[in-house]
Amino acid sequence: MKNKNSVLSQLWKDHMGKAGLILLAIVFVMAILGPMVFPFDSSQTAQSSSEILNAPSVEHWLGTDDMGRDVFRSLLFGARISLFVGLMATLISIIVGTIVGLVSGYYRSIISVILMRITDVFLAIPVLPLIIVLAAVFGQSIFITIMVIGLTSWPSTARIVRSQVLSIRERMYIERIKNLGASDFRLMFRHVFPNVLPLIYANTVLVIAGSILSEATLAFLGLGDPVNVSWGTMLHYAFVSGAMGRGAWWYIIPPGVGILVIVLGFTLAGHCLDEITNPKLRRV
Amino acid sequence: MERLRIIGKKTVELLITLLAIATFNFVLFRVLPGNPLTLIARAGHLTEEMVHNIESIFGLDKSLWEQYFIYLKNIATGQFGISITYRRPVAEVIGERFGNTLILLAAATVIVIVVGIGLGIVAAKRRGTKADRSLVVASMIGWSLPTFWTGLMMIIVFSVSLHWLPVSGITTPGAFYANGWEHFADVARHLVLPTISLVIVDMAQFFLVTRTSLVEVMTEDYMLTAKGKGLSSNKALWRYALPNAMLPIITTLTLYVCLVIGGAIQVETVFSYPGMGMLMYDAVLKRDYPILEASFFILAGVTILSNFISDIIYMYIDPRVKSL
Amino acid sequence: MSILQVKDLSIEFSTRNGGVKAVRGVDLWMNKGELLGIAGESGCGKTTTALSIPRLLPNNATITGGSVVFDGQDLSKLSEAEMESIRWKEISVIFQGAMNALNPLRTVGHQIAEPILLHEPGVSKKEAEERAKALLEEVGIAASRYTNYPHEFSGGMRQRVMIAMSLACNPKLVIADEPVTALDVMIQAQILDLLRKMKREHDLSMIMISHDLSVLSELCDKIAIMYAGKIVEFGDAREVFTKPRHPYTIRLMKSYPNIYGEKTFVSGIPGYPPNLIHLEPGCPFVDRCEVCMEECRHREPVLSEIDDDHYCACVRGE
Repeated sequence: MKNKNSVLSQLWKDHMGKAGLILLAIVFVMAILGPMVFPFDSSQTAQSSSEILNAPSVEHWLGTDDMGRDVFRSLLFGARISLFVGLMATLISIIVGTIVGLVSGYYRSIISVILMRITDVFLAIPVLPLIIVLAAVFGQSIFITIMVIGLTSWPSTARIVRSQVLSIRERMYIERIKNLGASDFRLMFRHVFPNVLPLIYANTVLVIAGSILSEATLAFLGLGDPVNVSWGTMLHYAFVSGAMGRGAWWYIIPPGVGILVIVLGFTLAGHCLDEITNPKLRRV
Repeated sequence: MERLRIIGKKTVELLITLLAIATFNFVLFRVLPGNPLTLIARAGHLTEEMVHNIESIFGLDKSLWEQYFIYLKNIATGQFGISITYRRPVAEVIGERFGNTLILLAAATVIVIVVGIGLGIVAAKRRGTKADRSLVVASMIGWSLPTFWTGLMMIIVFSVSLHWLPVSGITTPGAFYANGWEHFADVARHLVLPTISLVIVDMAQFFLVTRTSLVEVMTEDYMLTAKGKGLSSNKALWRYALPNAMLPIITTLTLYVCLVIGGAIQVETVFSYPGMGMLMYDAVLKRDYPILEASFFILAGVTILSNFISDIIYMYIDPRVKSL
Repeated sequence: MSILQVKDLSIEFSTRNGGVKAVRGVDLWMNKGELLGIAGESGCGKTTTALSIPRLLPNNATITGGSVVFDGQDLSKLSEAEMESIRWKEISVIFQGAMNALNPLRTVGHQIAEPILLHEPGVSKKEAEERAKALLEEVGIAASRYTNYPHEFSGGMRQRVMIAMSLACNPKLVIADEPVTALDVMIQAQILDLLRKMKREHDLSMIMISHDLSVLSELCDKIAIMYAGKIVEFGDAREVFTKPRHPYTIRLMKSYPNIYGEKTFVSGIPGYPPNLIHLEPGCPFVDRCEVCMEECRHREPVLSEIDDDHYCACVRGE
C-alpha cells in the first residue's frame, strides 16, 4: 500500500520515530536471530552451587543466574517470549476493541449502549489487580497470559474507534449510500473502516508497548509461564532468589534494560505515529 | 437542579458498576468449576471450625442464587471471609495494611501533581525548544520503565551500594522512638525510594497530558483575546490557559488512579512495604483467594469512586456540561 | 488630526518552508474619528497589518521594518510591558470569529469587566460590574445576562458581547477584524448598524477588516485595498468605490453582483495570489492583470497620489 510506505518514511524522518524504529530493530534482531545463534536450554541447570550467580566472564558474557544458567542466552530467548506475548495479546486486544468500537459506534440500538457501558466500566477498573486475579485463578501459562492481557486492554482501542465512527457517521454520504440499499456490513467495511484504520495504527503500537509492560509485571509478580522464561520471569527469579542482596547486577540490569528498550521503541514509534495521523498534535 | 440530577445519575452508575464487579468476583471465585474457595476450604489448611464458619457465612450449602445474594449482603457489611494464610478475617488483615498504602499513594500523588503538571507547563511554554524536547524524551523513557525494575535499580544503587536509604519495610525493625517526630522521620526515610520508584511512570503521564492539553489550549482564539486585553503572558497562562487545560487533565484522573495502584503493588512488593500491594503479592504466592478477591474489590472500588469524583469535579468546573 | 500613521511597514513570518513576507512596505494613515476599511482576499496581509498595530502578532512574526505611529507614539519601538498598558486601554480589538474568542469558563460579564479592573486600578469591582452591565445594555443585551456564559449566547449575540467588551476601557481606536463574516446576512446588518452607532456615541476611530467589499462600502470613510502584502489602492472611500483605478480593485468591484440592473455574468479573478516566500520581481499582480505591460514585470509600482485623497500603486497610474 502506498500509504504504508510514506508512513514508514515519515517515521524515519522524525527524530523520535527514527530512534523508536532503531530500538525496535535491535530487539527484533535479538529475538529472532539471537536464540538461533546462541540457543538456550532452560533445563540445563547448574551441577554445583559454585556455578550459581557468577559474575560475567569469558564463558558467560552476562554471568549466570540463580540456577547456573547463562544469562546472556536466557536474555536472547526471553526477548522472543516477551515480544511474542506482547504481539499476540495486542492482536486479540485490537480485534476485540475494533469490533466493539465499530458496532457500538455504528448502531444506535440498545446493544451499542450496553457495549459502551461495558467499555466504560472496564476503563475504570485498575488493570494490574484485575490481571493478577485472573492469572491467579486461571493458572500460569503463556496462553493464559496472552488471553488475560488481550481481554483487558481492548477498551482503549474500542473508545478511539467508537468516537471516530461516530464522527464519520455524521457525514451525510453514509446516509445516502444507505438509502441506496447497501447492507450495514458492507457500509461498515468499505466506508467506515478505512477511515478508522489510521487511528488504529498509532493505537496498536502503543497497546503493544503496554502489553509487553503488563506481561513483564505479571511475570515479575510470579504469574508468568515458568517454562517459557520471559524477561519479567527472569527478574522474578532474580528477586526471589535474593540476587540483589548478593549484588548480582548482571542478572537484574539486562532484562530490565531489555524491557525498557523494547517498550520505549514502541512508545516512541507510537507517539510519532500519533502525531502523523493526528495533525493537531504536530510539533512545530 | 440539573447538577443534582447528574449527580444522582452518576451515583446510580457507580452502584451498578460496583455490583458488576462484585458479580464478576462471585462468578470468578465461587461459580467457576474448580471453585477455589471451597477447594481450599476443604483442602485441610483450616481448622474444622473455620471451615464450618466459612460455609455458614457464605451459605455454601445453599443454591447458587441464594449464595449470590448472601454474597452481596456480605460485601455490603464488610464481610469478606477468612484469610487462609493469616487465619483471620480478611477485612481485618486488609484494614491493617490499607493505611500504609494510603500514605504511599498520598506522598506519590502530591509529587506527581506538582512536578508532573509543573514540568508540563514549563514544556508547553517552551514548545519546540531543546528543553521541551528533552523533557518529552525523558517522559517517554520514564513511561517505558517497568515500575518494579525502577524499584530494583533504586535498591541496588541507593541501598546496597551506597547504603544511603533503607531497603525495605516502613519502619526500622525494633526501633524505639523518643517522640512522634522521630517516628515520622523514620517512616519518611523508608518512603523515599518506594515513592520515587512509584512516581516516575505517573509523572511522565501527567507531564505528557498537561503539555499536550496546554499546547492545544494556547492555540485557542481566546488566548489572543487575553493578550489583546493587555494581560501579560503569565496572567494569561494562569487565568485563561490553565483552567481550560485542566479539563482534559481531570478526565485522566481515573487513568492515573489505575496506574498508581498498579505501581503501588509493584513497589510494595519490591520494597517489602507492608501495604495492600504486598498483601496481594503474598496472596498470589500462597494462593490466598479470599484476600485476592477482597483486595481486587476494594482497589476496583477505589478506582471507580475516583472516576465518579472526577466526573463530578468536571461537571462543576465546565459550565458547558449539560448532561454527562 | 492624524491618529495613526503606518509608514513602510514590513512583517515576515518564519516558517518551516522559509520566510513568508506577509506585509511588504505598507503605508497607511487615518484621522481621528475616521473609519478605515482594509479589504483584500485571504492571505493578502490585511489582518497582519492591522494586528501589528497593537502588536498582537504570533511568535513567529517579526516586524522587519517601518514604523507605526499612533497618537504621536511609535508603537514599534515600545517594550512588551509598555504595549500591555496600551492594549485595550487605547487600542482594542473585536476579533474574528467570536465563537472561540471568549473564554468558555468565565461569565460574559466577568470578561467585560476584566480589562477595566486591569487597566484602571482605582475602580472597584462593583463599579466595573456596573459599567459592564451598561455596555451590555448598549449593545442590546439585557443586563441580567451578565452572569451567563459564552456558550449560552447565539453567534450574533456573542459578537455583540465582543463589541461591548472592546469598549470597556473607552479606547481611542477599535480594530474590527472581519466582524460580520461568520454571521448570516440579517444579523450582519444589525451588527453593522450597531458598530456605526457605537462609533458615533463613543467618538471612536475604527479600522475594519473585511474581504467583503459590500460590508465596507456601507461604513468606511477611507478604504485601503491590499494585495500580496502591499496596498494597491488607498484613499477616500467614495472616491475609490466610484472611481477605482487599480486593475485589481476594478476586478474586485466587478465580482459583486449589482442588486439593481440587469443580470450580468459575475466574473471572479482567474489565477492565484503569488508565493510570498519566493517573490518574483515586479508587480505581484502581473499574472492576473488584464492590462499589464512589459514594464510591470520588472519593477514593483509604488503607492502614489493620482487624485485628491486617492492613491494607487500601478505602473499605469504613475
